[in-house]
Amino acid sequence: MSAAHVCAEGLGVTLRGAVVLREVDMHIGAGLTAILGPNGAGKTTLLRCVATVLAHDDGELTVDGLDPRRESERIEIRRRLGYLPQEVGLLEGSRVFDVVEYLAALKGFRDDRRRRLAVFDVLDRVGLRDRAETPVDRLSSGMRRRLGLAQALLGDPALIVLDEPAAGLDPEERIRLREILTERRHSSTIVMSTHLTDEASVCDRIVVLVDGAVRFTGAPAELAAHASGRAWVQAAAPSPDVRASWQQADGSHRCLGSPVADADLVPPTLEDGYLLLSGARTA
Amino acid sequence: MTRPIIDPNRVDSNWRAITAELDAPEPGRVEAMLRRLGVPASTTRLIAATPALRRSWYLAIGIAAIVGLGAAGPGDRASLFALLTLAPTLPVLGVALAFGPSSDPMYEAQLATPTRGIRLVAIRAATVLVVSIAVIGTLALLDPDTRPMAAAWLLPALALTLATLATMTVLTPRRSAAVVTVTWFVIVSVVQAVASGNLAAFGVIGQVVALVVVIVAGGVVGARRDRFDRLEYLT
Repeated sequence: MSAAHVCAEGLGVTLRGAVVLREVDMHIGAGLTAILGPNGAGKTTLLRCVATVLAHDDGELTVDGLDPRRESERIEIRRRLGYLPQEVGLLEGSRVFDVVEYLAALKGFRDDRRRRLAVFDVLDRVGLRDRAETPVDRLSSGMRRRLGLAQALLGDPALIVLDEPAAGLDPEERIRLREILTERRHSSTIVMSTHLTDEASVCDRIVVLVDGAVRFTGAPAELAAHASGRAWVQAAAPSPDVRASWQQADGSHRCLGSPVADADLVPPTLEDGYLLLSGARTA
Repeated sequence: MTRPIIDPNRVDSNWRAITAELDAPEPGRVEAMLRRLGVPASTTRLIAATPALRRSWYLAIGIAAIVGLGAAGPGDRASLFALLTLAPTLPVLGVALAFGPSSDPMYEAQLATPTRGIRLVAIRAATVLVVSIAVIGTLALLDPDTRPMAAAWLLPALALTLATLATMTVLTPRRSAAVVTVTWFVIVSVVQAVASGNLAAFGVIGQVVALVVVIVAGGVVGARRDRFDRLEYLT
């Protein structure tokens, strides 16, 4: 199955009278895309729309030209989809194998042998094969997240939507996650939300979402370049005029914004670019 | 370069298939029983896999047994009325406990699969309905006093289940179940009071009304099945 193409134009969502997404334009193809934004920016709502579980109110959204508002096309999108929601609930009393096999049955793996093979294949990939018979309530939070990822990878979907896949993972598990996603990035379209800039830095493209609107779309280097000439280091405490600043381990202050005269400019990082775009004020 | 006699990819693929068969855990008791009855494994997974379903399954069996035994006990008109009134609400309870984000922790992940939400909820509703019918029907048939009316609750049960599903297209599952159950109790009590305790709600007219509800609610569920496929109305 080849990678899917996600196209959103003027996408808008209103939930309980509050505008959560507004005028979102996004064109995503093969590779790894990070939706980066602060809490409450609308990341989960955007991913739910892409995963077809939430209907949008305004604009257009298509996956491979298919419109999720039409039932038959929505089902067709779901055949190509793997989705990890922000919260995959615990199925107390169920075993690891049962959980993934249940979703495999829902995904249309009717043949018993094919289904079992597919389940063990994804459990292998996330390193949970040895835990196939373990009750899920005995798994650590990181293992539960990997279990959620396993079901999202079932059937090698063309479109993989992951809401905060790195949440609760320790450094070793994060590396494993990166390896899994890197392995899939050439054959699938992977869209994942995160508020961690180091997770976003390994992606092919980044979409910065703030207050329900897209503020930036581009490569990680382009996001970092957004802070070019606007990041500097100084020994003295920064003035309140700087957009953002924080004290570093050596006691100096890293500042973002309009540089003061004779400022010691430093190469910008992806985090600098993101903080300037998101309008964060950390001083 | 010599060509291998056996394709290594094929050997690997076969080996993975063999180990998958050997490593697959045995199904649980309920699932194993369903498979022995000839239900395909891909369907038994949907019926028995989630705790939400197991809860509703066990709850239905338990309450059905209590209701059935209670009605079969004293053998008077009041017990029969209690049986006929309470029995149709069991599938409603089962549906409320087997569907939606508050009952089913995998609800959102399930929505994103190609299996239509309406199919999933129908399988679960049917499961609870069948268990209720089997338990209450058997107990009602055992008692000569309840035997003549043993089937009188079946059509109302189907009507209430479909009415609950139809209401779920606008309300959450639990609210829908509460609205339908309370409405049912009010109607049955009023009819019983007006008809001086003749079980009129379960007579011919009552059955015809139940049939009309089945047809109308079924139509609403079919027309609004999209609502079972999306998240927004349940969150």
